[in-house]
Amino acid sequence: MHVDACCQMLSDAGSIPAASTRPFHMISCFRRRVAARLAAAALLALIASPFASSQGQTVVSLAVEDLDGGARLILNSARPLPFLITRSGNSLLVELQIAASVRFQRSPVTSPFVRSVEWSRGRDGYTLRVEASGPFVSTHQVIERPFQLVIDLKRSAGETPAVSPPDAKRTEAPAAKPDAAKTEAVVPQPEKPAVPSEPAPLPVVPAGAKRIRTVVIDPGHGGIESGAKGVFGAQEKDVTLAISLKLKDVLEKSTAFRVVLTRDRDNEIALESRAAVANNNKADVFISIHTNGSRRKNAQGSETFFLSLNATDEESRRLAYMENTGSELTGQIAQGNEDDVKLILWDMAQAAYLKQSSQLGEAIQAELNSLLGTLDRGLKQAPFKVLTGVACPAVLVEIAFISNPEEEKKLLSPGFQSNVVQAVYRGLIRYLELNPS
Amino acid sequence: MTKKPSRLTNRRLLLAALLVVLAGLVILFFASGGGETIRPMREAPSAKSHGEAKARPEAKKVTLFFVSERDSLLHPETREIPGAASAAEEIEHVVGELIKGSRGDLVAPLPAETQVRRVFVAKDVAYVDLSRDVVDRFAYGSSSELAAIYAVVNTITANFKAVKRVAILVEGSEKETLGGHIDLSRPLLPEPTLVAK
Repeated sequence: MHVDACCQMLSDAGSIPAASTRPFHMISCFRRRVAARLAAAALLALIASPFASSQGQTVVSLAVEDLDGGARLILNSARPLPFLITRSGNSLLVELQIAASVRFQRSPVTSPFVRSVEWSRGRDGYTLRVEASGPFVSTHQVIERPFQLVIDLKRSAGETPAVSPPDAKRTEAPAAKPDAAKTEAVVPQPEKPAVPSEPAPLPVVPAGAKRIRTVVIDPGHGGIESGAKGVFGAQEKDVTLAISLKLKDVLEKSTAFRVVLTRDRDNEIALESRAAVANNNKADVFISIHTNGSRRKNAQGSETFFLSLNATDEESRRLAYMENTGSELTGQIAQGNEDDVKLILWDMAQAAYLKQSSQLGEAIQAELNSLLGTLDRGLKQAPFKVLTGVACPAVLVEIAFISNPEEEKKLLSPGFQSNVVQAVYRGLIRYLELNPS
Repeated sequence: MTKKPSRLTNRRLLLAALLVVLAGLVILFFASGGGETIRPMREAPSAKSHGEAKARPEAKKVTLFFVSERDSLLHPETREIPGAASAAEEIEHVVGELIKGSRGDLVAPLPAETQVRRVFVAKDVAYVDLSRDVVDRFAYGSSSELAAIYAVVNTITANFKAVKRVAILVEGSEKETLGGHIDLSRPLLPEPTLVAK
C-alpha cells in the first residue's frame, strides 16, 4: 500500500516536467520515470525481503570444533535466529524458533568431547541436541549481521549450573533488531552465576592450546612419481607413506589434533593440491615427509627444510609487507573479490609464515638428532614447490638418505620408522607449546 | 591470302627462337649451377664459424660447479671454453661442459644423456632449455635435485655477470620441478650457501 502510494507520487513528480514542450524536459521526465520505477522496485524488494526469506529456505551452518578438550559450536545464519539454550544431563539443547524451512549445513565434528549432534523439528522450530561425553559448563556469544551464535562447552569436573551467563564483554545483545522483544524473551536467564571449574587438561595437548589443531601430513611423492630410489629397491613414495600413516596414528591416539593426510595410498597428487589440502582444512601445521637422495652413495643424515623465497627485489618488498601483515593474510584473501589477487596471495602464502616455519623446523630437527642417531645435516632453506602455497607454518623433513644403502635399510625397518614418528611428534608438540594459539 | 602464310612463318620463327633461348638457359643452369651451388653450401657456414673461432683466440676461462664426494656442496673446477658470438652461445657451451662432468673426481650433477636444446638471454635472465633426459634419466631426491639445479644456476651466474637469474626449461616448456622438489616456475637466483668455501 505504502509502496503503491510512493510509486504514484514519484510518477506524478516525474510527469510535471513532461507537460513542458521542451524536448530535453521530455528526456529528463523519462529518466525520472525510470528512476521512480527503480526506486519503487527497490523499496518493494526491501519491504518484501523479510517475508521472502522467512517463506523461503534459511541456510544454517553448524561447525563443532575442539576447544581445549571441550567443544565450540558455531552456528551461522544469514538472518537472526531467536534461540533458547538449555541443558539436560550431558546434553545441550539449542532451540531455534524458525517458521521457515531450514537447510542445515554440517561440517565434520572435530571435537572428541562431542559424542553426537542431532537436529530435530519441533512445533515452533528446530532443536539442536549436542551430546557431550561428560559434564560441562557452557557460555555463549552472539554476533549479528550475519548472525553467528558461538557456544563454548568447557569440561567440568562435577555438577555445574546448566548455563552460564553470556560473556558480557563480547556479547552484543540482540536488542537493536526489530524483533528484539521476541528474541529477548527466549534468551535464557541463568538461575545463578556459573562458576566454571577449571577444565581438566588433557595429558598430551599443550596447556596453551585454545582450540583444535589441524595437522596436515604430506607423504612425499606417490603414484608414478616414485621419488628417490635405493639400491635394494626401496622407493621414497612407499617409505614416506608408511611413516606418515604411523605418524597420523600416533597423533590421533595421543592428542586431540585433527590429522589430515594429503594422500593415504599410492596415488599421484599434484604439489599444488597438497598445499590446497592444508589450506582447505585450515591447517595449523603442514609437515611434508621425504627421504633424501643423492648422486653420492655415501651421502647420509637427516635435515629439515623450510621455504626460501628466492625473491627479486620487487618481490621482496611485497613479501616483506605480507610478512608484517601475516596474521591478516587470511582475512585479506577472504575479502578479496578478484581471483587474480587471490592467486598472487596464495601463490606465496608461505611467505607470511617463514618465522614460525623455521621454529617448527628447528624443533623437529632437534628431535631427529636426538632420536635417530643419524648425521645432523641441520635446518635449511630451499624453494620447495610443495611449501610455497601453504598458508600455515610448514616444513619438509628429509628423514635420511634412501640412496645410501645403510640408511635405506634403516628407513625400511619398523623400529627406525617409529623413532622417526616419535621425533616428528615430539618436535611438533614442542613447537606448539612455544606457539600456543 | 598473302598475309596469312607470312604470319604463320613469323609465329614459327618466334617459337623456334624462344625454344633456342630456353634450351640455352637450361644448359647454362645445369652447367654453371651444378658445381658452384654445392661448394658454398658446404663451405660457407663451416668456414665462417671455424674462421671466427680461430680468429677469436681468447678462449674463455670458466668455473664449473660439481658435487663432491666429501660433502654435499658444490665445488668449483675451472676449464676453458671456446669464445662464441653471444653470451647465449657461451652459456650453451658451459652447460654442455657441466653435463660432460668433472675432469677430476667430482660428481656430475646432471644425467650424462642430457642435451642443451637452446639457451637464450632476456634482460638479466638466462633461459636454459634442456632435453627431457634431465628428468627421465634420474630419480631425484632433494639433495640431488638441489645439486642439479644450482650447479646450473650458480655456474651460469658466476661466469656471466649480466645474468642474475636462471630459468630452467625442459623440452621447450616450463616444468614445475625436476623430480617433485625445487620450484622451477620462476627464474632462480644463485644459492651461495650451497658452494664450498
